[in-house]
This record gives sequence, structure tokens and C-alpha cells, in this order.
Amino acid sequence: MSGSTVRVGRYELMVDRLYDPEHHLWVLPVSDTRVRVGFDPLGVEVNGTLAQLVLAPLGTVVRRGEAFGSLEAAKFVGPLVAPVSGRVVAQNPVALSNPARIEQDPYGEGWLVELETTELPAERAYLLEGAERIALWFRERVEAYRREGVLAE
Amino acid sequence: MLRTAPERFESPEWVRISMASAIVLRFRSGRFSRDFPFGGINLLLQYEDGCRSDCAYCGLARTRPGTYTEKSFIRVDWPLVSTDDLVERMARYESALTRLCISMVTHGRAYADTCEIIRRIRRRVQTPLSVLVAPPTLTRERLQHFKDLGADMIGVGLDAVTESLFRRLRTDVPAGGLRWSNYWQVISWGREVFGPWKVNCHTLVGLGESDRDLVELFVRLRDRQIYAYLFSFNPEPDSRMGLHPKAPLTRWRRIQLVKFLVETEGFGMEHFRFHEDGTLAAIAAPRALVEQAVSSGLPFLTNGCPGADGRPGCTRPYGSYRPSEPFRDYPFVPTPEDLQVIRAQLALDEILPSPATTPAGGPVPSRPPELG
Repeated sequence: MSGSTVRVGRYELMVDRLYDPEHHLWVLPVSDTRVRVGFDPLGVEVNGTLAQLVLAPLGTVVRRGEAFGSLEAAKFVGPLVAPVSGRVVAQNPVALSNPARIEQDPYGEGWLVELETTELPAERAYLLEGAERIALWFRERVEAYRREGVLAE
Repeated sequence: MLRTAPERFESPEWVRISMASAIVLRFRSGRFSRDFPFGGINLLLQYEDGCRSDCAYCGLARTRPGTYTEKSFIRVDWPLVSTDDLVERMARYESALTRLCISMVTHGRAYADTCEIIRRIRRRVQTPLSVLVAPPTLTRERLQHFKDLGADMIGVGLDAVTESLFRRLRTDVPAGGLRWSNYWQVISWGREVFGPWKVNCHTLVGLGESDRDLVELFVRLRDRQIYAYLFSFNPEPDSRMGLHPKAPLTRWRRIQLVKFLVETEGFGMEHFRFHEDGTLAAIAAPRALVEQAVSSGLPFLTNGCPGADGRPGCTRPYGSYRPSEPFRDYPFVPTPEDLQVIRAQLALDEILPSPATTPAGGPVPSRPPELG
């Protein structure tokens, strides 16, 4: 473990943020009422080579568990599920124009949206935080995906 | 100073594989939108100077912009892998594999390299193997040799279903020259060498042919005990037909149904009515029989060579449509929910007589039941 990252196998995870364990999205508070959302490295990888990203228009209000967009890969398409409730206040133009950046830099240039939210204190319980918990969860997920045959060898 | 030649990433040492194959063999991470078993592995020969043909609709066409390595085939990238690594993975995952297929390209070395790749596969893997052949590179003896090496079926990518269309898209093109007669010669040789229902002819829907053109070909092939495999034209960006629209879904579904009725239920030209422009106008057959075919879901499956158990072995998921688009062909038997969608797309009432006017009796099945 070093600074704000933890290594699990070949994955390096940022642990300065919260994770939605079901949908492999991270949530990074950027102000008291605003969070940035992006994929963790495993969440990107299991979908396969990305082809297209669609994000909800600015101003869209989403509840936790609702779709704020969709993602299409070579052989997969699925919704992007909001990890917290809020209003879409920013879309990442880099990810929209070049979805490959999500795979290449999921914590940096590959972020997805920013949500304005007052629900984080109430919804925090659904999210994982802390290096140890994050690493434990992630390790289990890697194993599960490996068993399913979803990860390259 | 001793200089070594740079390695050339070419067949037979290297091949390209479909993205679905790369996922199932775990060369690439990824998954399918729907959960279904998949074991059809597609290989494509690889040459730095590429395919020597120049078909107007193909992603690998010689005059399409970009190097061969950069080109997509059926719109998605085909990862390049070492043949020996590929065979190793096939052996490791053989229990999950249902059908292997080597796609040749038109190239001077394609025949010899295909033979070599079949040999390498057959030394380690016994999954049924097809070859999608490149007719200009072949003779009857060469087809026999494929069979002797262990291929049990061949496919011929006729694609354009009339001679005039073939000529326009594949012969009279900038670097073309493919010949309709050569393709049919190879189909005939293939039928002689491989036997009944061991040859398939690829037909693309949406290149500019009429429904009547397609049905005539289905009947002609069926009478010779040759499968027609349907593919939905899917425009390749930057190809000469990159802006040509796909066949509307209703037309596509009806063609799938009609082909099934011809191939499996013994329908002939007399069971179909066409408008003047060749568009399907009506199916003259017992409604119950047609409804039964639709309800089975089988007409809408991907057409591909079978596995050892006779069930579809090569199912090419999302091969001619994007995952975000409606299914064109299904890599699994459609569910009741899928069938609802299919029925809406078919709009059968427009082409089927009402039950009161339905003729009694119908055609008899033309294909052995064990062939599914």
C-alpha cells in the first residue's frame, strides 16, 4: 500500500474515495455538495473494449440505482447506474469523445460525470471506504470474474 | 553487421480471431450483454498486404483506406494472435468449444497456410472445423485436401445473390476481378467432395437484391442440399458501401422466416407471392404451420455450422449489429420476450392469409430431422 493507493494483483486502486461495490463505480467528493463519478479499473475491464458512452444530459436528476447513461463495448451494452442520488452537473467531454480514455485512465481523464448531491451522508452506507475494506472487496471480485471467465489470462 | 529481418506478423504463424473468440479463449477481457453459452471460434488469415479482393461492402477491401492490420472486419477489431498460442488455448478450453472456422482471404499463400493451420489445430483439438474458402485460390483437389486434413464443412462467401449484383460489387470494382462462375464452380466441387448439407453459401441481405432473388437462391441451394447462411449487411465505415443503409428489420425477419420455411419445411417458389419489384407479398401456406415455425424461434437463430451435437455451433454474437441495436440473428433460442419483439418486427398479418382462407395441407420437410 502506498499513500492513497492500494495494489490488488495487477490493479492499483485509489483509496481516497468511496466505491459502489455492485457497479464498480467510484465516488469522489469534490466539494460539500458535489461528487465526481468514474469506473474502477475492474469495472471498465470486464465490459471489454469500449465503443461508445452515452451520458444523461446536464440537469438530469437521478436517484441512486437509476441509470445516468449507458456504455457500449464490442459485445456488451449496459446502463451506468448512479451510486448516489443527485443532479448531473458535468459530463466528461474527453470520455464522451474518446471512451478508450476510460480504460486507459479510469481515475484521471476517464471520469464520467459530476453530480450535485445532498444525499451522500444518507447514502454513504451503501458505499465502501477505507483501504482494507476496498482491497478485500476488490480481491473477491477479481476472483469471481476470473471464475466466470470474464478476465483475460 | 548481421541484420535479421523484422518479424512479419503473418499467417501461418499469426492469425486474427473474432473479438467473441478472443473473449471466450480469454485473450481479451469482456463479456456478452446476455448470458448464453458460446463456443464458436473464428480465425481469419493475416497478411500484411491484405486480401487481394476489393469487394464494395467489405471491411478488408483492398482499396478501403488504412493498412490491413488497421482494418476492421464486420465492424469490430479482430485481435492478432500467434497460431500456436491460439491452438494451445483451444486445447485448454476444448470442452467449451462447439465449432472452429478458418476464414481464408484471397491471397497467393492462403491455401498452403490454411492447410498448415488445419494441421496444427488437428494435432491438438478435435472440435468440428469448417473453412470459409476463397474460391480464386482453390481447385477440386485442394478442397479434397482440406477434407483429408480434417475439415468437415466448407462455406463459400457468395454474398451477392445475383450475377449482376456480384459483378457490380465484386468483379467490376477498382481492384476486383472475382468471378461469379468461379464461385459456383467451387460450390459444386464442394458439394461433390464434402457431401449433402456439408456446404454452405453465405448470402448477404441488403446489398440491393430483391426478396425474390433471395428466395430463388434458397430454393436452388436447398434442392442441391446446400445450406444458405444469412447475413445482414452491416455497413463498414469508409468502405464504398459505408453509407448504404441496412435492410429494414421487418424485411430481415421475413427473409429469415422464408429461408427457414424453404430449407426446413420444404417450401418452394409456389408458396410465395411477390410484388412486381420482387418484394415478398404473401406466404401461401397454412397459417398454423408458419406460426409454429415462428414460435420455435429457430428461423431467427444465427446461421452457422453445427457443433458435434448438431446444434448451432458457430453463433457469432453481435456479428452484424451493435450490442445497443436490436438483435438481427440470435446466438441463442429467442425467449418468449424476444419472440414478442420478433412478431412485431415480422408484421405477419401483412403477408399471411387469415385462417379462414388458409389452404389445407402444406409442403413436406425436405431435410433430414437430425440436421435440425
